[in-house]
Amino acid sequence: MDARATSNPALAILLIPWSILRGAARFVSRLRANIPGMIGFIGLVAYFIFTFILPRFIPFDNEPNLDEIVGPIGSRIQLAVHRDDARLRTFEDLAGKTVGVVDQTGGPDLIAPYADTLTIEKYRWTSRRAGPGLETSLVDLANQEIDALLIFSKTVTELIDSQQDPELKALFSENIVISNPGLGPPHLLGTDTQGRDIATHVVHGGRVLILTALIGGVISTVIALFLGSIAALTGGFLDSALTALTNLILAIPRFPLLVVMAGLIRFDNTLYLGVLIGLLGWPALMRAIRSQVLSLRERDFVEAARSLGLSTNHIMFREILPNMISYVMINFIFSITFAMYEQIGLVVLGLAPINDYTWGVMLYFGRSRGTLYNPDGASMALSPVLAIAFFQVCLVLFARALEELFDPRLRAPV
Amino acid sequence: MATQSLNAPLESPWRDQLIHALRTALTSYTARVVVQAIVTIWAVATLTFLLVREMPGNPIDVLIEQILTQEGISYQEAYDRVAASFNFDPDASLLDLYFSWLGDLLRFDLGKSITSPGTEVIDEIARFLPWTVFAVGMGLLISFVLGIVLGMTMAYYRNSFLDHSLSLLSSFLTGVPNYIWGLLIIIVLGIQLNLFNVGELRGTYDISLTPGLNAAFILSVLKHAALPIATYVIATLGGWMLNMKSSTMGVLNEDYVNVAEARGLKDKRIITSYVGRNASLPLFTQLTIAVGFVLGSGVVIEEIFVYWGIGHYLFQSITVRDYTSMQGVFLILTMGVVFSNLFADLTYGLLDPRVRISGER
Repeated sequence: MDARATSNPALAILLIPWSILRGAARFVSRLRANIPGMIGFIGLVAYFIFTFILPRFIPFDNEPNLDEIVGPIGSRIQLAVHRDDARLRTFEDLAGKTVGVVDQTGGPDLIAPYADTLTIEKYRWTSRRAGPGLETSLVDLANQEIDALLIFSKTVTELIDSQQDPELKALFSENIVISNPGLGPPHLLGTDTQGRDIATHVVHGGRVLILTALIGGVISTVIALFLGSIAALTGGFLDSALTALTNLILAIPRFPLLVVMAGLIRFDNTLYLGVLIGLLGWPALMRAIRSQVLSLRERDFVEAARSLGLSTNHIMFREILPNMISYVMINFIFSITFAMYEQIGLVVLGLAPINDYTWGVMLYFGRSRGTLYNPDGASMALSPVLAIAFFQVCLVLFARALEELFDPRLRAPV
Repeated sequence: MATQSLNAPLESPWRDQLIHALRTALTSYTARVVVQAIVTIWAVATLTFLLVREMPGNPIDVLIEQILTQEGISYQEAYDRVAASFNFDPDASLLDLYFSWLGDLLRFDLGKSITSPGTEVIDEIARFLPWTVFAVGMGLLISFVLGIVLGMTMAYYRNSFLDHSLSLLSSFLTGVPNYIWGLLIIIVLGIQLNLFNVGELRGTYDISLTPGLNAAFILSVLKHAALPIATYVIATLGGWMLNMKSSTMGVLNEDYVNVAEARGLKDKRIITSYVGRNASLPLFTQLTIAVGFVLGSGVVIEEIFVYWGIGHYLFQSITVRDYTSMQGVFLILTMGVVFSNLFADLTYGLLDPRVRISGER
């Protein structure tokens, strides 16, 4: 039963999903022979579910959790609380309480937005490591003179564990509970510098990037297809002019041009960036499509169509385009990878909008806040890196598998 | 008829001969590619000129606006001040400015830096560019040689397990963006495994050493460039492998390879001088395209490794909005791409006798 075979239009419409499904099944069964291509295909489907469906069920974690903070360079940020108040976790919990902050380690920045809801007691970190300032604050906490203590250093645990004074040691270990963030079931990928769940950020971080890359890829492919076929089909002056223009744009290093333009324009919306990337990205593909059309134009079936007096539109869309659609598709995928490459590069440099918390923005903050260089921040640094890397690899594997499927010369043993 | 036209140049007076020689020179392949390169550079120079002066939100208007709001002086004064820092005559028309700018370019005068007065942009470029050329050149050279060897291996052992795994590897190498490779090197090797100190490897050499031809300095230069070079190698290797594989498979089908085998030549000789040489020829053209791409993407790589090359300089001038430096570096990068393409066009005939004899490509 084929959709085209039925005469009843209503039935035909009902059958469209069926025929699409069957086509997809045929495609997948052909792809099965190519294991890397299959991996890429499954990967892309997984990415689609991951970035477009999962965010509906998993909310973006934007709540700072004081007891789950992974700290800046070389330190764990920790919330120490009295044993009796062990449920204190967020700034909301701390409202109305007295919170001690060891000034020099970075606490004020974090606590500043909440300064009017809680009382802040400041302690000094003296020049000696684990000096008396830290000790005083711990004693105050143990005696419940303050309700909680924000400490941005891993020396706290050392101070308690290796305490020489047995009286203090007992006081600390009996009364103080210190947060200890780690990877594990509640937070699959751990937490970031504000105690927010990284896994939810990864889930939400792909949508804008992939959409922008798709916009860039679609625009550059459409321009390339349009200009390439016009150049090849009309020939003459228009052809030479378009080819000269293409060669000119190809000579301009694309990424520096983007960097300069992004530096001049300062986009406020990532999607505009996709448009710009698309507008600059077509020349290489345009040249390839032009030569494809040139060679297809000489084929017998096109000659036949032309001698029948069929219009240029007909020849382009019915005779030539179907014969290079697979080629266009493959290059479309590659242009998505380029658009992805360029926009994330711009984001990492800080020249693209950072209002959406994408994988690229995670990297940007990782670089600017130094968490990339923090031995404790492995998950914070590697999650976006691997998310980007595997997405690109899946695209490339899938595109290469398509190349082999549609180009028998690559498949057959030579 | 044929003899007449052959003899014609000899019989004609010297002026005709000169015209004839000029015409052949101008229509020759060499002249065409040289003219094309010059036109490209001119067009990009014009584009940068317009980008800086005429685009909405262009730096000149922005700077005038900035001075106006900050210091409350008259528009004309602000305009004159900006004209002084951009090194143009405030009373001249746009066309005059354009021609004087082109004239400056011909004398390699790229103007003075806006944010650090007194520094010539061309001097800054001369200071930063060699490091990038060194790192990019080394990286491409290493990956090109490695890629040719691996690509030929893939072609010789095609459809074996080795071929499939190398092909999968090449997908990984090309798929992952080069700055992601750079970050992976830093995070995994540098921070997590602690194999080297990331902070110490910033810059292009240890500043406590005096530059010169001594072992300590050269070692320091190599150490600082090692990570960017490794990144360039990793990120470009996959492409060379695949291209070399398909090129080699094409050559393996050629008659002269069969003949060489039939003549009983040693395998080693066939691999190197019959297959390897011919299969790697088309890759030289792609090498120049890669130069352009790698030079361009170097902006991110150099920022990630804090390697003080031309990309780092470009990014720094963008962050402080130093427009003359920006436009200078951008022009130099474009010229680098154009000249490497020109170099390929001109030398390809020398490498491949078949092209030299047929006279065109």
